[in-house]
Amino acid sequence: MTQVTTATVAQPDAAQKTNIIDTDVHERAEPHALVPYLEPMWRKYITDFGWQPDRVLPYTQYAAGGLDRLDAKLPDGRPGGSDYEVLRKQLLDEYDIDYAILTGWLDASGLHPGWPEFKTALMSAYNDWQIHEWLDRDERLLGSIHVNAHEPHSAAREIDRVGAHPRMVQVILYIKDKPFGEPYYHPIYEAAVRNNLSIGFHHSENAPTALGFHRYFIEWHTLVSQVFMSQVVSLIFNGVLDKYPELHIFMIEGGFTYVPHLISRSDQQYRQLRSEVPWVKRLPGDIIREHFRFATQPTEEMSLERFLQLVDWCDSDELFCFSTDYPHWDFDSPWESLPQGIPNDLQRKLFSENAKNAYPKMPALRTGTA
Amino acid sequence: MKQVVCRSSELDAGQQIRTQLGPIPVVVIRSWKGTLHALAAKCLHQGGPLDEGKIYEHHATTKDAGEYVLDPGREVLKCPWHGYEYDIQTGCTVFDPSRAIQTFDAYEEGDDIVVRMKLPSPK
Repeated sequence: MTQVTTATVAQPDAAQKTNIIDTDVHERAEPHALVPYLEPMWRKYITDFGWQPDRVLPYTQYAAGGLDRLDAKLPDGRPGGSDYEVLRKQLLDEYDIDYAILTGWLDASGLHPGWPEFKTALMSAYNDWQIHEWLDRDERLLGSIHVNAHEPHSAAREIDRVGAHPRMVQVILYIKDKPFGEPYYHPIYEAAVRNNLSIGFHHSENAPTALGFHRYFIEWHTLVSQVFMSQVVSLIFNGVLDKYPELHIFMIEGGFTYVPHLISRSDQQYRQLRSEVPWVKRLPGDIIREHFRFATQPTEEMSLERFLQLVDWCDSDELFCFSTDYPHWDFDSPWESLPQGIPNDLQRKLFSENAKNAYPKMPALRTGTA
Repeated sequence: MKQVVCRSSELDAGQQIRTQLGPIPVVVIRSWKGTLHALAAKCLHQGGPLDEGKIYEHHATTKDAGEYVLDPGREVLKCPWHGYEYDIQTGCTVFDPSRAIQTFDAYEEGDDIVVRMKLPSPK
């Protein structure tokens, strides 16, 4: 039996002294918190009629704290990510984070498309709430613009409304069951480019697997990466990156170990089937390496050798960006989620430089800590 | 090395408390049937604070899909982060008994609960 004493567990290495950009941090608003930020005509649907976001996932998150780390839930029963002071203590200060990119919780793009007018108004309220309650409180926090992707022109107007905020760095689209590369959604990408913003795609509890919702949560959670593969493929073969060559795309909360397969497979299909999509002008792998970044969480246990092979197989050490997914139960520790002993150059890229280079509005990193 | 943790009356069945044994953070548990157990309080996976985890009954291995059976008397401590489960008696992870956290002796001494490094097994 391997019995590990705490005293001999590897302590955090250079990651502790490296700049850290955390590319996935969840602040959370219950619908009632958004009421003051909603246009008056919409408020009664929350205060009186009890609107709640739809959730089609037929299981609970099978963890001690449900969706959250048990120690991130608040004593008064509110979910993790509801309180700035707790987030500051447990994440920003605990791990000396340079910047944390807020990715939210309530996002209309991951909900059913019905009632688009309300959803669009709700996203405006969410963005104003995020700015006032979070971004205004700590310069280490960077924001994501939430939109209702099911109404792309309304989404573009919202991006134009708040896109100039200096610490809004991306537009975020939660994934449900629509491939977002289709031309219908392109006004969103055009608005992102117009406002110097990246696009983040984030998993949601309403995202199915390739076969819908299996019988058990463990099946669904094992297959999280499937919808990310679908979105990358959709964006590439619908020509989004050829049409918007300045665009940077982040895939968030899908992990990263699927990326080598995706590059290899899509390149091979392009060699065989390119004439079906003649507007795609390069090998998909080249497009991925130039335009896509993948947030690391949720990581899987692996050796350093296996991790370095995986990076090598991508033919790029610039694709992966560290993320914690705080405060959720599968939070990845900056100190212990990736193998110990990663070479310093690669470590700097993983923990900060790759994200810095793919968010056009990312502020300067602190100096003197590397 | 031994350490007084708390008064015996301060730890009810199904509860746990954190203490420090030299440099080692330790979680002391009183099981639902009243026995005391002590384990290193840092998860093997990513260092999650096991003293903030939760004690559950162990789900026994079953034969068929859809069959759920609790394992009477066997309790596990579930990490508050990723949910790794440790047998509170042995410190072994339930998915791989070859992976375990350090365990300590925990017992009552007078009105106190005490933990200490495990004594070598008699040969």
